[in-house]
Amino acid sequence: MEGRGVDPDSPGSSSGDPVERRRAPRGTDDLDPAAPAALDEVLVRQAGLGDKVAFSQLMQRHGPGLYRYLLRLLNDRGDADDCVQETLLAAWKGLPGFRGESSVRTWLFVLARHEAQAVLRRRTRVPASGSLPVVDVHEAAEELRDLRADPEGDTITTGLLAALDASLLLLPERQRSVWILREVEQLAYAEIAEVIDTTPAAVRGLLQRARATIATTLEEWR
Amino acid sequence: MTEDSTPATGRPRARPTGAAAVAEATLLLRQHTDAGWTAIESTVIERALAAFRPSAPVRGRHDLGDFFLASDVVVARLREAVDGARGGAAQRITCTTGEDDRLETVTVQLVAAYGPPLLELSERVHAVALATLQTLLGELAPPAEGVLVHVHIGDVSDDPRIVS
Repeated sequence: MEGRGVDPDSPGSSSGDPVERRRAPRGTDDLDPAAPAALDEVLVRQAGLGDKVAFSQLMQRHGPGLYRYLLRLLNDRGDADDCVQETLLAAWKGLPGFRGESSVRTWLFVLARHEAQAVLRRRTRVPASGSLPVVDVHEAAEELRDLRADPEGDTITTGLLAALDASLLLLPERQRSVWILREVEQLAYAEIAEVIDTTPAAVRGLLQRARATIATTLEEWR
Repeated sequence: MTEDSTPATGRPRARPTGAAAVAEATLLLRQHTDAGWTAIESTVIERALAAFRPSAPVRGRHDLGDFFLASDVVVARLREAVDGARGGAAQRITCTTGEDDRLETVTVQLVAAYGPPLLELSERVHAVALATLQTLLGELAPPAEGVLVHVHIGDVSDDPRIVS
């Protein structure tokens, strides 16, 4: 995929990918690339010991990413609202026992996906295997056509973002999770594997399929 | 792929090419904060913080008699006090209660800053922890020997944002 040809987790890859690593989570504006992770560590420690301000800061930092992920996973704002609430509740209750074996960001996404899966299981339209998209492919394609046909709507960038959202709906849940966690949230393969409970090799395969589908879909959107 | 040759009609620019569209859309999404999050942010954080964290009761005593505090509250107050002592930060605080929910021991595990003498830090933290417990629990606060301060050096840091 153009502009993203080097996977930093691939054997022999260099640090050439400018978006790799979780050293600079969004919501921080520090110039020191090592600082945000270090601050996460402090906030986690303080929040685990009952510091509510630290917890608020932690969630203000990671909340937008969690919500972005949940909304696109569930395609329903009400469900995303509920899930992010449950995720934060689980985080507040779980922080005293959090031992830092993974980054707090990864841990939060594990909690978020756990909540999202509970919602997906409740939806009757979801196949038991979870291997098929949760939306009708024809509906999503129609949505894409609508976006393309809107000549005087929003700007190109707004349309592009909407087209990407629509193309994500075509992906099965695991592919969608992997694509968002890698390309948008910039988690490493090993971290994504932890979130979706699989291996880094499986993540790589899922990501390739997701990238191919999105590239094809956005090509059609043009 | 070629650029869209349609004359611009009020649009800021042409549609990006295929691969560029994916890259640009990805970047847009990465920088995007959903309005839904902005709308609920303060509410969901407040609700989470209002949730009950199960914790053991700790007995205290004041002039009017005995009362109970959640050990979570004791830990939170101790953290505030310990973090206020320069040169160290609380990493883990554990309380052990005995008969009648009386606090028997408190263990404060610290992260220490590089440089300052550790013995002085330990004594300072011990003193503030003891004072805090006496304020919180009155005469049922554990004796000085019941407050254990473990200076744990897990990392060396001169970053004031980690340990001040």
